[in-house]
Amino acid sequence: MINPNNRLERGVSHIILILFVILILLPIYWMFVSAVQTNDNIFSPRFHLLPLNVDWGNFVQAWRAEPFGIFFVNSIVSNLLIVFFQVITSSMAAYALAFTEFKGKKTIFFLILMAMMIPMQATFIPVYIMLSKVHLINTYGALVIPFIGSAFGIFLLRQGFVSVPKEMVQAARIDGASEFRILWSIVLPNVKPAIVTLVLLNFVFHYNSLFWPLVTTNSTNMRVIPVALSYFLSQDAGQQLQWNLLMAADLFSIVPVIAIFLFGQKYIVKGVANTSLKG
Amino acid sequence: MRKLSPTMTDQVGATSEVCMTSPYKAEPRSMKLRPLKWNWPGFILMLPALVFMTLFVFIPTVYVIYLSGFKWNLLSATPKFVGLKNYVELFSSPDFRESLWNTLFFSGGMMVISLPLGLLLAVLLDKKLKGTNFYRTVLFSPYVIPLVGSGLVWTLLYNKDYGLVNRVLSLLHIAGPDWLGSAAYALPAVLVMSVWQYLGYYMLIFLAGLQSVPDAIKEAAAVDGAGRWSTFRHVTLPSLAPSIVFAMVVCLIQSFQTFDQVYVMTGGGPNNATSTLVYYIYNEGFQMFNIGKATAASVLLLVLLSVLTWLQVKMSNRWVVEE
Repeated sequence: MINPNNRLERGVSHIILILFVILILLPIYWMFVSAVQTNDNIFSPRFHLLPLNVDWGNFVQAWRAEPFGIFFVNSIVSNLLIVFFQVITSSMAAYALAFTEFKGKKTIFFLILMAMMIPMQATFIPVYIMLSKVHLINTYGALVIPFIGSAFGIFLLRQGFVSVPKEMVQAARIDGASEFRILWSIVLPNVKPAIVTLVLLNFVFHYNSLFWPLVTTNSTNMRVIPVALSYFLSQDAGQQLQWNLLMAADLFSIVPVIAIFLFGQKYIVKGVANTSLKG
Repeated sequence: MRKLSPTMTDQVGATSEVCMTSPYKAEPRSMKLRPLKWNWPGFILMLPALVFMTLFVFIPTVYVIYLSGFKWNLLSATPKFVGLKNYVELFSSPDFRESLWNTLFFSGGMMVISLPLGLLLAVLLDKKLKGTNFYRTVLFSPYVIPLVGSGLVWTLLYNKDYGLVNRVLSLLHIAGPDWLGSAAYALPAVLVMSVWQYLGYYMLIFLAGLQSVPDAIKEAAAVDGAGRWSTFRHVTLPSLAPSIVFAMVVCLIQSFQTFDQVYVMTGGGPNNATSTLVYYIYNEGFQMFNIGKATAASVLLLVLLSVLTWLQVKMSNRWVVEE
């Protein structure tokens, strides 16, 4: 059945895709190659695509070079707090937008759409000044509190919520259930995938952010992973820099997000797709 | 329990609306809820998110405009009102003009390179070839890696004498430049790294769009004798219009926020060649403590972003209608 024209086309498609796969994987592979070599071998004039030596001890050395244990705890705890609070505020707000009517609802929805377009990078100076007035700079508070209310979170969850039949909510109201109770025991159980998507996307996004932690934290004790990596580079730049240790640290720093991506891929892919389709 | 969340395949035909263009129409109001003017529970549920967004998004947006009228170094007690002087100073500053130009170049480059490439990959993945899942996973993976992490390895790849890029070029007897160290090549080099990072994201957006185009329509066009290209041009592309508009807007917003990769790879150098608007704001505000100029630049960033987004949506509305 398959005509030769079709087979040629499939072959060409595979070739193009494989080429892109190689280009995409190469930097990640190179991170690995550099992480297991000696620093001298990284800069060896010999052209090599395989590591010239393999020393797993580099990972241990990199881990000990800086207090990475503290950095991981900082990153993970502050991001879990952000995710936790954001799921609460966003699901309440998404419920209000999807299932209730109140004065000013349209205005609020419009404000939320506007807020999605205002990047933190344009408003961080006032936020910094406000937080410093209440002495929260260089604390978990500064890392977490500005992200508790999220336009993106509300928007993403609202999309999941509108798929719950209004009849179900209506029936529960007739039975005399309170709005909180309807949200908790009828709506939330039906939108678990949307919640999981929000949790994963959010965790990855905040785990990866450099900008805000760089601005608001300054002590080693408060450093998160991206800030720690960027310091590694700037502290002793030039030829002295232990590139092999840096790449080893880079590798174990991206393990959490890669793991989340591989296990939660279904949700992440769906989340990205959903935000682009359907208002 | 039934799972009621929308899946990608459930969304066939749901793409006619994109959030940016029509926020209100998208929600089907099939069933009337209790007609209440004031629904206190509804408002109270809205409140926590609204309070935090007001504190950390809306008030700072107003505050940043207010601050841009003052000279202040964060430390002195009283900011001095100077009117529009900060804006005048900005436009006469070569550093700012360069950062502005770099940001526009970077955004344009991202749009021109990563959107068509993303579309190409999406079309290939939509053919349902063997291994599609594998391709999709790998191609999307850079998007979940922190920009700091990938910025570091790309710095090594771009190394003048020992980087992999120049080693491969030298096999072809080409002497590669000092990518990140030269004013001419640094920004394009950062751009290429960013395309690598974000390509899979745009691919996924287009793939979702393509998969929501009913196969029946494509088949009908094929039966009518429309060629491959003509089907793509007149059937697939127009039905993909909402995804394209969305990708363009996201690409613009994302590119205008560029900071991490610049901070790690070049520190804005050499000679400001890779400084972006956000990098300029960071530098002016938190290295020079020139809050007035930094906030004025922030305001310009917001204004530029809104105008460009509005223009894109406006122009593409016309394009969608014409199709």
